[in-house]
Amino acid sequence: MENRFHLIFYPFFIFMAILILVFQSSFLSFFFVRRSTPDLLLIVVLCFAFFGGENKGLVLGLIAGFCQDIIFGPAIGIFTLAKMLSAFLTGLVAREIYKDQIIGPALTVFFITFFHEIIIFFMISLWGGGSPQLSLSLRSLLPRAVSHLLLTIPIYPLLYRAGQKNFFHPF
Amino acid sequence: MKHTSRRVIAITIIIIFFLSLSFVTGKFYYRYAHAEDLIMIGILPVQGFFSQVGMRLSAIFQDIREYGLVLEENKMLKEKLAREEDLHTKIFELEKENERLRGMLGFKERSSYTLLPAEVVARDPDHWFETITINKGYADGVQKDMAVVTTRGLVGNVFFVSRNSSRVLLLTDSRRAVSALIQRSREPGFVGIIEGCPEKIDFLKMSNLSPEASIRQGDVVISSGLGGVFPKGLVIGYVEEAGQDQYGLLQQAIVYPAVDFNRLEEVFIVIESPAEENDLLSRGS
Repeated sequence: MENRFHLIFYPFFIFMAILILVFQSSFLSFFFVRRSTPDLLLIVVLCFAFFGGENKGLVLGLIAGFCQDIIFGPAIGIFTLAKMLSAFLTGLVAREIYKDQIIGPALTVFFITFFHEIIIFFMISLWGGGSPQLSLSLRSLLPRAVSHLLLTIPIYPLLYRAGQKNFFHPF
Repeated sequence: MKHTSRRVIAITIIIIFFLSLSFVTGKFYYRYAHAEDLIMIGILPVQGFFSQVGMRLSAIFQDIREYGLVLEENKMLKEKLAREEDLHTKIFELEKENERLRGMLGFKERSSYTLLPAEVVARDPDHWFETITINKGYADGVQKDMAVVTTRGLVGNVFFVSRNSSRVLLLTDSRRAVSALIQRSREPGFVGIIEGCPEKIDFLKMSNLSPEASIRQGDVVISSGLGGVFPKGLVIGYVEEAGQDQYGLLQQAIVYPAVDFNRLEEVFIVIESPAEENDLLSRGS
């Protein structure tokens, strides 16, 4: 039965991931200065991983990162790996944290943002994406992590409650 | 224990797989261009819709913030308009005269670019790559490597074209270098993004300038046309400061870009540019 639920959830998540990416790249970009636009997709994936566990996080991270790579990435695999490993790590960390309070997921998202960006940094360095951009991007890391922490505060309870009410597994 | 080690192996395999995939697809981007093309056809209208809503909302917020200045500005603009009308007539006359003189000298009119207007529908959602998506594709005649400009100056070039949209690599992206000239002294050099200067994130760096080059603050930096991607004469920015490079052998300049890359809404794709001029320059160099 659980497997069938998952089969319904994952196409829904792919659609959601694409919609978030489109929203983030178009609507949201008009309200933030270049390089400071928050990664809504990362926040959503980490929130799911936080209450869904590391395995679910790994799969959702893989799907979300793959969508981002296909639509915006310069090569397939950069965001896939970054989001997948970040979500997996979040799931592992969340084992030890109380899920009903916002402080745990908010701080986790804050710290995992650094991990996510370091993986991308590492991937681009390997792949040869150019170094000046990296130093600029790393400078915007802290403001980005803070914006992620702040955005997790409204997003996490929304997803957590929806998850508890079986919104993502309706049948 | 067995379950854990199996999971570690599985994750390691996935990591190796995606690492390899990123190397392969990064080098052969065009191989999956058709897949991206299909996806972009689907998401472009949604992107366009969100962009329009975002643009209008941000414009409303901007208007609210600037309302205090609007009345004063309006008064000033009316006065300015009266002066401009007079100036416009004079410019028109001068333009005609210039055209006649150029014709006499046998040169083609310099600003004869054929431009295609396009709207920015998306920006790269991450902060690692500097690209934008515009709503014109190969169906409108757009081709890879075409230059993209605004009324203020050079924005970048098209690096991926799908049917109804294209992706533009901005000047500020580190994956590029543009051959450029100081308009006043005509010294060739290269413009790239600034390095190791945290307080000047949105600036460009012009390097490889000869030590004898005359560079002054406020000098206009234009594209040289060398390299074949950008036509000659497009404004890149203005020199903010100049000095020796880290080895003390050549000069470098920090350039303030003419285009505000944070506020790109409408751009023009240079469909056609005066090729003769570039040929002449190449021959001359």
